[in-house]
Amino acid sequence: MNDRRRVNGPPGGTRPPVYASLLQSGTGADTRAQRQRQPTDLRKIFLKTGLIPSASGSSYLEFEPSASLAAARSNPKSLIPPSSALKLACTVHGPKPLPRSAPFSPNLVLTTHVKYAPFAARKRKGHVRDSSERDLGVHLETALRGAIIAERWPKSGLDITVTILEAEDDRWWGDVPDSHDASWGMMNVLAGCISAASAAIADAHIDCLDLVSGGVAALVSDDSTDSPSALPKLMLDTDPAEHRSIVSACVVAYMPARDEITELWLKGDSSKVSTADGDQRSGHEALIDGAVDAARGAHTVLAEAVRESLQKTLGQS
Amino acid sequence: MSNQRQASSASQTPHLSPAELSYLYTSLSLPKSPIRPDGRSPTQFRPLTAESNILPGTNGSARIGFADGTQAIVGVKAEVEKTVLSTDTLASSEGGEGEDSTSTSNSAAASGHGSWVQMSIEIPGFRDDDALPVFLSEMMRESLVGSVADGGSDGGGDGGGDGDVTMAGGLKGRLVINKRWHWRLYIDVLLLSQPLSYPLPLLSLTTHLALLSTKLPKLKSQGEEDPFFDDDWEVAEYLYPRSSNLKAAGNASQYVRPPVTLLVVSVGENIIFDPSREEIAVADAVLAISVTRDTEAGNLKLLSIRTVDPPSRLTQPAVPNSENVNMLGATAPTEDIAVLNPATGEEEVPGVWRPRRGGVKRSVIANMVKTVLKKGGVGEEVLEGLEGVEVE
Amino acid sequence: MAITILPPVVEDVAPYHADSDDSMSGADSDSDVEMSGVSRPNKKPRTGDGKISSGIVTPGEIVTADPKWMRGHGTYMNPLSTSIIATVAGKVQQTNKLLSVHPLRARYIPEIGDLVVGRIVEVQSKRWKVDVAAPLLAQLPLSAINLPGGILRRRTSADELQIRTFFSEGDLVVAEVQSVHQDGSASLHTRSLKYGKLRNGVFLAVTGTGGSGASSSSVKGGVGSGSGSSAAAASSGTGGGVVRSRRQVWTHTTANGGGEVDIILGVNGYIWISKHADGAEAVSSTTENVSITRMEEMVSSSIYSSQNDDVPPQTRREIARLTQCVRVLVQGGVRVDEDTLTDSYEASLQVDLEVGDDDEEEEYGQEGREYLEGAKARRILELTMQRK
Repeated sequence: MNDRRRVNGPPGGTRPPVYASLLQSGTGADTRAQRQRQPTDLRKIFLKTGLIPSASGSSYLEFEPSASLAAARSNPKSLIPPSSALKLACTVHGPKPLPRSAPFSPNLVLTTHVKYAPFAARKRKGHVRDSSERDLGVHLETALRGAIIAERWPKSGLDITVTILEAEDDRWWGDVPDSHDASWGMMNVLAGCISAASAAIADAHIDCLDLVSGGVAALVSDDSTDSPSALPKLMLDTDPAEHRSIVSACVVAYMPARDEITELWLKGDSSKVSTADGDQRSGHEALIDGAVDAARGAHTVLAEAVRESLQKTLGQS
Repeated sequence: MSNQRQASSASQTPHLSPAELSYLYTSLSLPKSPIRPDGRSPTQFRPLTAESNILPGTNGSARIGFADGTQAIVGVKAEVEKTVLSTDTLASSEGGEGEDSTSTSNSAAASGHGSWVQMSIEIPGFRDDDALPVFLSEMMRESLVGSVADGGSDGGGDGGGDGDVTMAGGLKGRLVINKRWHWRLYIDVLLLSQPLSYPLPLLSLTTHLALLSTKLPKLKSQGEEDPFFDDDWEVAEYLYPRSSNLKAAGNASQYVRPPVTLLVVSVGENIIFDPSREEIAVADAVLAISVTRDTEAGNLKLLSIRTVDPPSRLTQPAVPNSENVNMLGATAPTEDIAVLNPATGEEEVPGVWRPRRGGVKRSVIANMVKTVLKKGGVGEEVLEGLEGVEVE
Repeated sequence: MAITILPPVVEDVAPYHADSDDSMSGADSDSDVEMSGVSRPNKKPRTGDGKISSGIVTPGEIVTADPKWMRGHGTYMNPLSTSIIATVAGKVQQTNKLLSVHPLRARYIPEIGDLVVGRIVEVQSKRWKVDVAAPLLAQLPLSAINLPGGILRRRTSADELQIRTFFSEGDLVVAEVQSVHQDGSASLHTRSLKYGKLRNGVFLAVTGTGGSGASSSSVKGGVGSGSGSSAAAASSGTGGGVVRSRRQVWTHTTANGGGEVDIILGVNGYIWISKHADGAEAVSSTTENVSITRMEEMVSSSIYSSQNDDVPPQTRREIARLTQCVRVLVQGGVRVDEDTLTDSYEASLQVDLEVGDDDEEEEYGQEGREYLEGAKARRILELTMQRK
């Protein structure tokens, strides 16, 4: 775990600056980001494949900045952006022969690396992958392995590297890390990683069952609007910075053509949810269905982006 | 080497021959009554031996051993740490306008922080930064710190005074001593031998037991002064209050309990608990489901679900007799009729193993979760069983 | 009940009294050895004593100081002295003038003619490397297998190219040890219709000849340990596992409509239990009117198949029962061979009847009734030993 290549300072030795404007306005409720979209509205996704010529497949993905961020950028009031938008790049190398020392494999051996750029999050990340990045790598591997037809490429390896240039926040920056300090932003990052990696795999012309796409849904209790006893509401594609309290969230990797989930990661208390009348689903089922809907939305972008880059190559030749 | 290590679940599987895989799969997917290689029923766990409070140098500890000889030891240590004050606390201490009393309980100083619980897993044969230990510890930690009792309805539990009985804010809230100090919990999990099957159930059950037996020394200081403690171990309080601690003999279901993570696999239409290594090797889907007791409703509550990469995707396919070059002319080619497997939606020749591909249907996931959560189901029985293990 | 949680078992070890020699013969569940009449190991060098220390010795213990003996396996001699010193813990054996120490539990050491079950771990261009639970991997040369159809010819490069179509990584084979190399590694062959790829069944690993296989630690100790201590003491005393015996392969007729089941006990402790393959019948059912010679050809050609036949659930159930009987025997420290396995199988059927009779909770009885552990395992062991 230790970084053996660099001499790092003692951990926790530095702290982010505290701004005077913050102290005056309390928690600064006026600058707090608010969700402008409908609960089922998804953010726009920018996705392009084939940007890195040296890789056999690559893609770049960007989420649309939230309305508050866009407003803050056009008319800056504070030094600190109210939220962040996901930006990540994915490269695929392979299929290439396995190293000599590796044992025989009848299938394509998949390796995934997820790395935050040091400047990706509000808090600086080290150069060595930490446990959350490794965790993301395992999730991504699970998601992709179900989609790839591995036996078409025996004895070969495929390296997938995702670099996160700008990560999603886990909460609104002004909130202290409190009871909902769980890393909700990581789930959005994972959904982005899945969609981007899927596009890059298609760009590398690896056989897969379907373009697998990632989607996030969350149960949110914004007690600012209603009485505190109100039940959490289901929202698709949540930006954690826009919500006061996320109760539970779920990310799926989903293949629409087969209606199958290759990766599911759900956490938080999903026992209470305000559902429409006659909706018999329990909280976690509603959550999974919501995430699947979000993934379906991402899939349309994904398919379009892959098609676009193919048409471009056709036009060139 | 690192390439192989990365494959978290794959490195766990033995190389099984396609014939074995096919035999196992067919046995386990027999409708209604799967035949497990060791004769267990689908929901039956392997018997295990358990004891807690075995390490005197810890605040709580436990050991669980399976009959196959794999053992896990968990030690829980608690240390006092100074809480880093955040901007919010600074703000509220300076003027705090517009902050009503309930929202102060939102601050880190009162409701705790997930990073105060630190978990490390040591598995022989794996480096501490290999994918498997990292994945396992994240999985177990996330359900542990996530198990917040509903903060909104419980209101303020700001302080150590009554927190140890109601446990507002879950484990994290319990770790708060006062606004400036908190407990830091180190949970160290040690697996004594290389795991013979996916070690999650063993580790999770042992951690649960260790946390149940964990005691924190009684606080003697009051309010916001620097904390000091009673050195009498007899009066120390349980981290998770136990029924014997209270005069009002209540039902155990009223207490907050540490979560337990169960490994569930689906094979065909069957749902199987506590799978052995061979059983995981042929599973269509593998889920790790964390549950705990819902203190209000008295039933079980879902905390997290994670998919685990089923190793069956990386297995060697069998060659149907009709395509086997060594059998040319030996069998009539029309013999093999592909049959649709309802569980995977793929055409398969009976008796011929195919590596699994694709994912899992939503209905299967819902079914697996339901089996865990349902009243009198496996989850409740496991929690009851663990509750029954004597502390000391 | 889905889960059984037991309190830790304190292994019933008799306290060691320095002054009483016969304390060792008490019940010691962990040692698979019959130790009655064995003198307590004495670390003190017995110099000048011409006697051979009988029974059990530990490493470093002087077996004898008498120069008339020759040293054998498991011993060494100091260059300056004449005393023979043990290097392994085990029993002293005396063959004419040769003194050797046989370890009570050791790994499988291949010998020519052994019938073994092995798993292919590596495919090379002209041979396979096979795991046979020995210290070194065994090799199976391409020239030592039967070609499909029983054709006799030299192996060509075409055969080398399609070597994976015969056996591939992970495949299980039953083979015979053809020769043993200088370094102790074995060379196998499958040049018989009895040998080849294994299908239609389950694999399990137990202790091999005189020794502990890969999984011996996995079946020892823990739950249910101590259960078989008395039974173990009553058994022949060589410890659990598979030993070289008269018959390593036989067909067992099972109860409950399970039909016939083939059992292959590899000398190395790898066991294969499968549905009985009646070669001729299987072939004639698929293709009619085959001549006898042609039939032979077809039987041999199916040895490279990796497709399972249809195995009915009843047979699967009985195979699972046999598998557990093996486990029970190994846990009890009883040797696994045709007699003990057959006896314990009969015993398990009887136990099932007994349980069915007096079990009040019908549901519970149904729930895990095929799982043999704890009390059931003890009962089966008892019955098995009675039958001997």
